[in-house]
Amino acid sequence: MKKTTVVLLSIATLFGLNGCGTDTPSSSVAKTYSKTPAEVYTQSCHKCHGEKAEGLTEKKTPPMNDRQAGELELDLYDVKNDGINQSSGTEHDKMAHNMQKLLEKGFDYDPKAMAQYIEKNFYKMPPKTAPAAEAPAAH
Amino acid sequence: MLKEGMDLIDAHFKNEGVSRRDAMKMFGAGGAAMLMGSGVATEATAGSSAVKAKILIVGGGLAGMSTAALFTNSLDNPDITVLEPTATSTSYQPGQTLVGAGIWDPSDVTYQRDDFVPSGVTLIKEKAVEFDPENNTVKTSGGKTLKYDYMVIAAGLKLDYARIQGLGLEGTITSRGDDSAVRKVIGKNGITSIYFGNGAADTWTEMQKFIADAKSGKKVKGIFTHPNTPIKCGGAPKKIMYLTDARLREAGARDNAELTFYPNGSKMFGVKEYHDAIVNQFEARDMKWNYRHNLIGVDPVKKVATFNRHWKEKGPWDEDLEEYSVVMKAETVEKEYDFLHVTPPMKAAEEIANSPVGSAKGWVPVKKETLQHVKYPNVYALGDIAAVPMGKTGGSARKQYKVVAENIISMMNGKEPTAQYAGYTVCPLITSIGTVMLAEFNWTKKPTPSFPLDPTQERWIWWLLKVYALKPMTQYGMLSGRA
Repeated sequence: MKKTTVVLLSIATLFGLNGCGTDTPSSSVAKTYSKTPAEVYTQSCHKCHGEKAEGLTEKKTPPMNDRQAGELELDLYDVKNDGINQSSGTEHDKMAHNMQKLLEKGFDYDPKAMAQYIEKNFYKMPPKTAPAAEAPAAH
Repeated sequence: MLKEGMDLIDAHFKNEGVSRRDAMKMFGAGGAAMLMGSGVATEATAGSSAVKAKILIVGGGLAGMSTAALFTNSLDNPDITVLEPTATSTSYQPGQTLVGAGIWDPSDVTYQRDDFVPSGVTLIKEKAVEFDPENNTVKTSGGKTLKYDYMVIAAGLKLDYARIQGLGLEGTITSRGDDSAVRKVIGKNGITSIYFGNGAADTWTEMQKFIADAKSGKKVKGIFTHPNTPIKCGGAPKKIMYLTDARLREAGARDNAELTFYPNGSKMFGVKEYHDAIVNQFEARDMKWNYRHNLIGVDPVKKVATFNRHWKEKGPWDEDLEEYSVVMKAETVEKEYDFLHVTPPMKAAEEIANSPVGSAKGWVPVKKETLQHVKYPNVYALGDIAAVPMGKTGGSARKQYKVVAENIISMMNGKEPTAQYAGYTVCPLITSIGTVMLAEFNWTKKPTPSFPLDPTQERWIWWLLKVYALKPMTQYGMLSGRA
């Protein structure tokens, strides 16, 4: 009897507290950053990723101007968090290390704001490979 | 179907020595009605619209079918088509861990797609093979061309066992559907995987042999892997290990077994509080772990698992960074096993990854709050296929489907999509038979508990929640678009 009471209470509580349609983006206090994305980019990122986020062969850095903000944000998030899955690790082992050092030097940023800055200033639409009518087959 | 569901719930109550009458008393209005959603105060809503628009949903698993149900409940003139080729697509995947450990029967988690198609929704039992988002059309495996005003991509993901050398496999499978080739090698000779339905059933068979060996006095080794790709239910690779530990203890044979977790990454959990709790739980159970090992091969005859072990070393001074750089090192290591639980690499289906709606990594790129495609405003994605951090769980999908429906309905009414997903996800981490740590969190990477209780503690009540409440909530609440 007692067990079941707990189960039922759990169900009720879960529905009650968790069943609403949408969440507000974050319940915690919004973090503030001492530098704008533009300041972080022009003071730090550009040294290794290039003036136009094109990636530098001699530094073996990837371009960041080939993706739109929504996609790039995921990578920046991964870099800052050293992975975004429980135990999968990160695809950005080196940069995750470097990022920790850069954070210590004050080059912190919001991944979303930085992704938007990079898209707005550097994004280059990849060339279309085929007319729209043939697009699906061409990929 | 409803009766069957209620019978299932009744059976659970009965095990606890309570009749449905007593259960209904506790609810006041009636337990069944409550679980069906009609008595729920916070019923899911997504606004409404009298506008007529063609909505195409690619994928009829938990995410896709729940979205279809919510549209059906919300729209005055719904015109919804779901593309889903697999007959058991609405099966309850979170229960596969319990099947793998012999706590549930495979029939407890197998559900027929056709029982969950909302009334009025057109189901096409095919998959999407070509996407032309410039012209708002999709081609199906049966050669149909479907035109849409809005498209929701909820196609799930593929299990890529073939990427592991030595198993002799080709191509990918899904958690349900044809797994005949994979099942010939996985689920046999000590190699197991709970990530597909039949694999979960076979895991229990193999686990019983493993436990019998340990009980007979043989010293045995169990290995549990976690790959280098995003995976669905990030906790499952550990849950099956906890349950193996529990079953060995139950048999009085734990001392004869060495259990080791080999994840590709270098932590147990992205949220520090939960990471620390898991490390303590592993230590308390004498469960070992070895970070930075990615499973790349298996020799089923010799029973040897091959890993790529990788680590960082201090590199030369980097003038731009004003720090020493790091260099990556790697080597191949072999480990013998008696029981191997494989968590396969996972990826988006090729026909989506390589299409205009895909991305370099395969997942459908969306704005992570609104779930709108980064390039095509009338395309949305949710569930396992969406490129959203930490989003590949049923708990995430339960938050996402409402956001997708609300945003599309806003657009139908000529408004901006403003509903936002905050990254909530939940991992009921089974830590033994009878205890669960209810790890809830979001993108702030802080625990976000729904209950005023220390979220890092293993509790019996979360076990009850996991084993008794979450399935009816999912199968009869969420899949009908109500919770």
